[in-house]
Amino acid sequence: MDAAFWIVQALNALQLSMLLFLLSVGLTIVFGLMHFINLAHGALYALGAFVAVSAAGFTGSTWAAFAAAPLAVATVGVLLYLLLIRRLRSAGPMNQVLVTFGLIFVFLDLFRMIWGDIALGLPEPEVLAGQTGLFGVVYPTYRLFIILLGLAVMAVLALVLARTPIGAMIRAGVDNDRMAACLGIDVDRLFFLVFCVGCALAGLAGAVAAPVLSVTTDMGTGILIPTLVVVVVGGLGSLKGAVAGSLLTGFVQTFGAVIAPQLAAIAIYAMLAAVLILRPAGLFPARA
Amino acid sequence: MLEIAELAAGYGETQVLHGLSLTVPAGRVLALLGRNGAGKTTTLRAVMGLVPARGGSIRLDGRPLAGLPPHAIARLGIGYVPETRDIFPSLTVRENLELAARRFARPGAAWTMERVLALFPALAGRLGTGGGQLSGGEQQMLAIARALLMNPLLLLLDEPTEGLAPIVVQQIHDKLAELKAEGLTMLLVEQNFGFAVSLADEVAMLGRGAVVWSGSPDAARADGEAQARWLGV
Repeated sequence: MDAAFWIVQALNALQLSMLLFLLSVGLTIVFGLMHFINLAHGALYALGAFVAVSAAGFTGSTWAAFAAAPLAVATVGVLLYLLLIRRLRSAGPMNQVLVTFGLIFVFLDLFRMIWGDIALGLPEPEVLAGQTGLFGVVYPTYRLFIILLGLAVMAVLALVLARTPIGAMIRAGVDNDRMAACLGIDVDRLFFLVFCVGCALAGLAGAVAAPVLSVTTDMGTGILIPTLVVVVVGGLGSLKGAVAGSLLTGFVQTFGAVIAPQLAAIAIYAMLAAVLILRPAGLFPARA
Repeated sequence: MLEIAELAAGYGETQVLHGLSLTVPAGRVLALLGRNGAGKTTTLRAVMGLVPARGGSIRLDGRPLAGLPPHAIARLGIGYVPETRDIFPSLTVRENLELAARRFARPGAAWTMERVLALFPALAGRLGTGGGQLSGGEQQMLAIARALLMNPLLLLLDEPTEGLAPIVVQQIHDKLAELKAEGLTMLLVEQNFGFAVSLADEVAMLGRGAVVWSGSPDAARADGEAQARWLGV
């Protein structure tokens, strides 16, 4: 194994980290604001992938699919919020977990009914086909695109959170939702907005993952656990935590599989345990 | 301005307020005194909608507040300075202030950023500081400044002197006296008898979740028996 091999693995890890970031950032900030965890978030990722496959079939354009998936998933998010989640707000964590856990199975069966049980694929956009030379290795251009997209979303979210009035409102709501409400901020509406953005990002993650993974009904359940690991390792409610947690989880999972394949299945859980022993609240919790 | 009648409120199984009634007239300062656990903080929290009212009524200029969410009550014109100050640690001092200023700024409003910084010059030099890095006195000033930027009709203050050094208590006293001179309506909850009585136009003492004594500051000072019985001073 030479340097080129490790560079490729690092890029693979980075690409996985970016998908995990797109998934976990909405989840963690929604949790920070409202202490609400949506276990069906993984199903929304799968929905994004399926919608992308269908949209590409209709329009013949993968780019159109990348635009359609977040919009469609955000719309489903709006419906979920209005029909279910709004009522669950004061129902306590156990009910929230049970209902959103149940939603996973509802979505699984809906995917089977609509798209069937056969794995589907999505072609990558033509301009991104092929390989690119980087750091002395050749790497699939499309995977580099995923990395850049993740970094771009990261930068935009960081800017919005740090520099805009709405970002300050979100940080205030995560710090202390009751005091934020006492300053006239409608925290429920803020939560709704963040929830929808989180759904759109999950849909986007599913759509951009579709060309590199096969699109199957259970792809959402597979990614849910690593996503929750990211949220817990990073520390609840913070963007910095989502970034750190995604990178750590992506790298541990990728390099764990390379270095010790027989232990790969437990690598991220060992990391989770280690982080929780050293930093019980995660690496960068929003509420210190 | 604020009329509370027969208010019942509490947490879970525990009822704290048992038929509390009080009135804060416009332009006046009412000091609400009482021992720990008498229901002072719960009264303010019930006014803000943070604790649901189980009975009775709360009205602001005749408009019932019960059942409204806290953000709606805040927008009707009540500024709240909680006991714990609740400065947002993830926000700078400037962001803490702007959060209130942006939502409540209107042309001709009494309180602007410049004016609160003139009132609390100590904050002017700390605008870029994180909310989590302030001293207790600075936190208290910021909490009051933030509430003023809401241009409230009524200011609720929960133990503004708690945990502060005597010199800072004196500063806060002078600032609140300035606000009083401007005619700002305030409901002031305190444990510090001397501080509260020197600011107040009227005094109410709380015992077991209801008002048990009310009168002028002079009468409160003179009534040693009521002080001993309801305040333990």
